[in-house]
Amino acid sequence: MRTRSHSKSPLSWSLFTLLSVILSALVQLSSAGKSASSTGDSVLVILEPAKKAEYSIFLDGLEKKGYTITFRAPKEEHPLLIEDGLPNFSHVILLASDTKSFAKDIGPQSLVQLLSLGTNLVLTLGLKQNLLTSLAPEFSLLLPPPATPLVSFFPERSDSPNVIPIDVSSQFIPNDTFSVLSSQVTGKVWFSGTPFALNPNPLLFPILHAPAESFAADTSDASGLVSDALADASEKGGEGLWAGSSLSVVAGFQTLIGGGTGHGPDAGSGEDKQTRAVWVGGSSLFSDEFAKKQVVEKIIQERGMKVVENPSGNKQAALEIAGWAFQERGVLRIDEVTHHKVNQTGPVEMYTTNDEIVYTTRISSFNPSTKKWERYSGLKDLQLEFTMLDPHVRTALLPVSGKPGTYSTTFRAPDRHGVFKFVISYQRKGFTHLHHTLSVAVVPPRHDGYPRFLSAAWPYYAGAISTSVGFLLFCAIYVAGEAKEEKKNKKE
Amino acid sequence: MAPKLSTTQSSSGSNKPIQTTSQSPFPSAFSALFKAYTQNTSSRLKFIDAFLVFLMASGILQFVYCILVTNFPFNAFLAGFASTVGQFVLTASLRQQVNPENKLEFKEVSHERAFADFVFGSIILHFFVYNFLG
Repeated sequence: MRTRSHSKSPLSWSLFTLLSVILSALVQLSSAGKSASSTGDSVLVILEPAKKAEYSIFLDGLEKKGYTITFRAPKEEHPLLIEDGLPNFSHVILLASDTKSFAKDIGPQSLVQLLSLGTNLVLTLGLKQNLLTSLAPEFSLLLPPPATPLVSFFPERSDSPNVIPIDVSSQFIPNDTFSVLSSQVTGKVWFSGTPFALNPNPLLFPILHAPAESFAADTSDASGLVSDALADASEKGGEGLWAGSSLSVVAGFQTLIGGGTGHGPDAGSGEDKQTRAVWVGGSSLFSDEFAKKQVVEKIIQERGMKVVENPSGNKQAALEIAGWAFQERGVLRIDEVTHHKVNQTGPVEMYTTNDEIVYTTRISSFNPSTKKWERYSGLKDLQLEFTMLDPHVRTALLPVSGKPGTYSTTFRAPDRHGVFKFVISYQRKGFTHLHHTLSVAVVPPRHDGYPRFLSAAWPYYAGAISTSVGFLLFCAIYVAGEAKEEKKNKKE
Repeated sequence: MAPKLSTTQSSSGSNKPIQTTSQSPFPSAFSALFKAYTQNTSSRLKFIDAFLVFLMASGILQFVYCILVTNFPFNAFLAGFASTVGQFVLTASLRQQVNPENKLEFKEVSHERAFADFVFGSIILHFFVYNFLG
């Protein structure tokens, strides 16, 4: 075949190379994408057309990142969210938080279906009841009764009490949680809207807490500030449920592997189907008004007070919140998994009990600025499990110094034979969940794999040998005695 | 051979009065038993008995070692212990067959045949023992 292709004309060769170049370029384009997201470029914004101008800074920021934005009014029929069982958009932002009724195909079920089909969501809550208030409990959010926004009288300011500056730098983020709002968010973030308490759900985590002095209250009633409905609801849920810094105003939800069961051949590669949903208490966080609004701060100095006006952090915060939801940051994947015996290379079909096993994996993280997957050594608490029903071995999978993105560990296979699984299950809030399982057989030693003679067994060997020697001696003497007797008999 | 055997039979028949008269305390009973055994048992049977005692001692030693020290490796214990027990059984069978007192029961089995059976069984036993030992 080779000799034939060599004999072909140079024209066909150049055509072939041209085609291959175009093909490879296409492949690169499809894999890289032009936006900062690791899952897709298309964004659907559900918004009243009249309010489009209110979010221009945020939407321009998204377009600058490479997203293509499609608008759809809440009651418009097109474009559809899901067509022929496939999602039409990679990401959906629902900014129409005050709309009461939506088109037929925008409903709680379809939003959940979008998540399982691989579409990321940014959902903003309004003060009135709509489809999102009924969807929120499905995500373990506890909403206060309708029309009770977050209220805070501190710090002293000229704005109304339900327009609240939130300090991002004082937010508490646990070590193992991805910090969605980076240090690039400078200044306070303006917020106005509904807060929510979080039920304990491993998939849900707070992105922005409410200030400690704030609480949910009914502002329409000027006299009391606490409505009967809120008092009743608080009594049900417990006092202080909708007050203080345990409340969140922005929360993130990382789904498990969409669609499949997460086990067996259904599990897939594990990272491409995971989706994210962000719940924001008020759509005004993304608005131009708040992005431009200055934060007035009074700084106490030696001689009186100084009034400083700082720009708000809303613009950057809005982009980072949407960026996390669109899987720009905190996105991990397992590239490669290898395992072999110590002092050997290459995979083995099965291990023997008590073998020393080397397990190595390579993990990449998506870099939104280069739009490429880069090897990532930053995971400090990755673990490997060697399981047969129960984990028989659970060991730390530590990064290998000098090899970026490589994590490796050496462990002894348990003294137990059967079909074991190497399991990586890394689920940290804000990060893509890493799941990987690989089955391998662990067999007992072969018949010639044991030491044949053991020093501990020498008494038994001696017993058996002495019996045999005794038997031989016995036979010899017995026969000799018989011969003697016969002689005697003959003599007689 | 036949006359010799007949004499032993007659001598073993003569020890019956000793056994019946020994209704006295234990020491005298044992000494009487021992005396009767040394006097009335042929040297061939005594020799077989000595081998049986050796096998029993060896088996007991191995069993004690297994209980007090270790039963690891268990297959070696089984092989060693079974070799003594098996050899004991085979040897005891041989003793039964060559004992002149049992002549009537084993009329059709000659002593040579009994010994050949014993050797054949022992060889098979040892074959299994050494297979199982290591």
